[in-house]
Amino acid sequence: MSIPLVPKLLRAHLADLAKEGKRHDGRGRFEGRKVELEVDCLPRAEGSARVRMGDTIVFAGVKFQIMTPYPDRPNQGGLMCSAEVRPVAGRGWEPGPPSPESIELGRVVDRGIRESGCINTEDLCIIPGEKAWQVILDLFALSDDGNLFDAFGLAAIAALKNATIPAERFEAGEDRPLEVSKTPIMCSYHKVGGRFVYDTDKKEELGGDERIHITLGDDDHVHSLQKGLKGIFTAAEFAEIMSEARSRCSELRDLIDQAVGK
Amino acid sequence: MSGDKGADGPRRSRQAPLLVAPGEDLGDSGEFEAGHGVLSINGRLRALKQGKMNKRGNIVSIEPRRTAFMPRPSDLVIGYIEGCTSNIWFVDIGAPFNAILPMSLGPAKAEFGGIRKVLDIGDAIICRVQEVEENHSSVVTMKGMGLRAIRSGSVEEIDPHLLGRLIGRGGNNLRQLKEDTECRLIAADNGRVWLDGDLSGIIQARNSLNDLLKQAKIEEYGGVV
Amino acid sequence: MGGYGDVQCIDENGIRLDGRKIDEVRPMSIEVGVVPVADGSARMKWGLNDVIAAVYGPMEAHPRKIQRQDRAVLDVRYNMAPFSTTDRIRPGFNRRSREISKVTAEALESVVLTELYPRSKIRVEIEIICAEAGTRCAGITAASVALAHAGIPMTDLVVSVASGKVHDVVVCDLNKEEDNYGEADLPMGILPNTGELVFLQMDGDLSPQQFQEAWDYNMGAAKVIHEVMVEALKGGDE
Repeated sequence: MSIPLVPKLLRAHLADLAKEGKRHDGRGRFEGRKVELEVDCLPRAEGSARVRMGDTIVFAGVKFQIMTPYPDRPNQGGLMCSAEVRPVAGRGWEPGPPSPESIELGRVVDRGIRESGCINTEDLCIIPGEKAWQVILDLFALSDDGNLFDAFGLAAIAALKNATIPAERFEAGEDRPLEVSKTPIMCSYHKVGGRFVYDTDKKEELGGDERIHITLGDDDHVHSLQKGLKGIFTAAEFAEIMSEARSRCSELRDLIDQAVGK
Repeated sequence: MSGDKGADGPRRSRQAPLLVAPGEDLGDSGEFEAGHGVLSINGRLRALKQGKMNKRGNIVSIEPRRTAFMPRPSDLVIGYIEGCTSNIWFVDIGAPFNAILPMSLGPAKAEFGGIRKVLDIGDAIICRVQEVEENHSSVVTMKGMGLRAIRSGSVEEIDPHLLGRLIGRGGNNLRQLKEDTECRLIAADNGRVWLDGDLSGIIQARNSLNDLLKQAKIEEYGGVV
Repeated sequence: MGGYGDVQCIDENGIRLDGRKIDEVRPMSIEVGVVPVADGSARMKWGLNDVIAAVYGPMEAHPRKIQRQDRAVLDVRYNMAPFSTTDRIRPGFNRRSREISKVTAEALESVVLTELYPRSKIRVEIEIICAEAGTRCAGITAASVALAHAGIPMTDLVVSVASGKVHDVVVCDLNKEEDNYGEADLPMGILPNTGELVFLQMDGDLSPQQFQEAWDYNMGAAKVIHEVMVEALKGGDE
């Protein structure tokens, strides 16, 4: 990703707004943009979702492949998650091999899903030691207006919950839905004008400092954390956003359950 | 849509604006001359852009729905300092190419090595396009009335073709907005708008700008944004 | 996978697997402004194809060696998303995508007035998020709408469509089965206002007569598709 110029005026203005407890688009400090979530929108994928938050739009698609289980785990399948931010998503995203930014995106989303244990890899085994399903989750950004992390996180879990194992096509039994037992949700907070805010848009990202990504599973268990970008934060700041994340995650979990029809 | 006539006479044809797409044939080039967005090919006029067709006098032109900003001499622009050498600043003016601001046209002379004390990277400036070269690189100047570094307020961006809508006929809209918000407001030709005043005034002015953009989008896409 | 003789793509009444007549195009729709952060964009759904094109620019061409002193370059990237086909596509370098990107750029450069923007580049991103058959045609068509939507001056839109041959019958706008089991494929890029061509490929086997028939089908389909494109660009204003 090309390194954008940060206008000093923007940083100063965001700091002015922060002093008065305001944001440049009028939202509250922990208010997210409107979330649109649609599942089963890609006919060629075995599971899919589209998420729109403001002008940020992403897709997630699930595909299945048959793999040979690893020798040390002969009765387990696998999960692979890859994020790609191609130049279609914005002026700043450049062509070429995956940038560190897009690799970080994919890995943080991957960790949240993997560590929550929402997919039982033993359930993916077909013939122990010989054949197992590999679940491949591909994340694709169409339009980046900030906070790709949360959009990817939401699309990822929704697409998995929407997925069907195409066993008939691979002559491995009957088609069945992929078992997803939990709903890990990521919430990202970005320090803008000296305090953390939720769901930043591109302008706030440009004029902001460090950010923190929190993935919470059911029962508020923490599954992944990531601090990104340059900046320093205190334990008190972290405690505040952690408690905010708990309430926001449960709201989003309801949204997912609604969209996938549960 | 309907054939309603404006009360202020035939300022422009107020019948349904004729929308055209690139490639559309706009008639014989014998009667009319090609204006903006129109090209004469083999004796026929052809649309080059999508937008509304206007016929004024004997000129056919297209009022485009979207345009990239291409600097022209004497344009007032708001730029950001992107880099510098010992005697030149490079300025992002929202055009395909950076502009250069030589020390001689800058706000003040700097000692050798002190150019960033005068204008630093990330600073915003109001400047005027002095010249544009054939290959689109341009030179900007800060010598002139009101041309200066911006140290307060906020800079917003709108599509350059919506400037006319923001300013209004005879500058009415812009004047009204300034009065309502008690803000200083400068709309530069590159679509960047400087708002300065109380924080609440800036917020109000920005909301008005956003409403304008939303309105324009709704009109463009027929209600679905 | 090709060469399955037992797949019957056309019945005795000349009706195809998806219910179309032999000279009929698949249902399609185009929408503009689908990538809000881009300067121009379009999404084309054509049969099961779902193609998004976004345009950024004109902007300074980097690196310097790709700059043209007398005109802009079109930097076109055609890409199939990993989940766009039945078997997942591994992301990364792909010879097929490179070739399609090249011919697409050349087709579009024939209509864009690149001489107005020397030393610049115009980025055109074509993303296939769901593929059926004829993604290159959908890509070119969507890209030309996205360019127009971005306000890039161009002498005409480009309509692209492919006809071909299945079981020795010439059919218009091949679908997936016809593409897989067919004997010929003739994609063309047509300027709808003049009937001139800016893009042409073909593979397979066609007799002179069949070739003419496929050509005529493409020309006829171009008119239908052009109407959809113009309607999308003019939006709901009328």
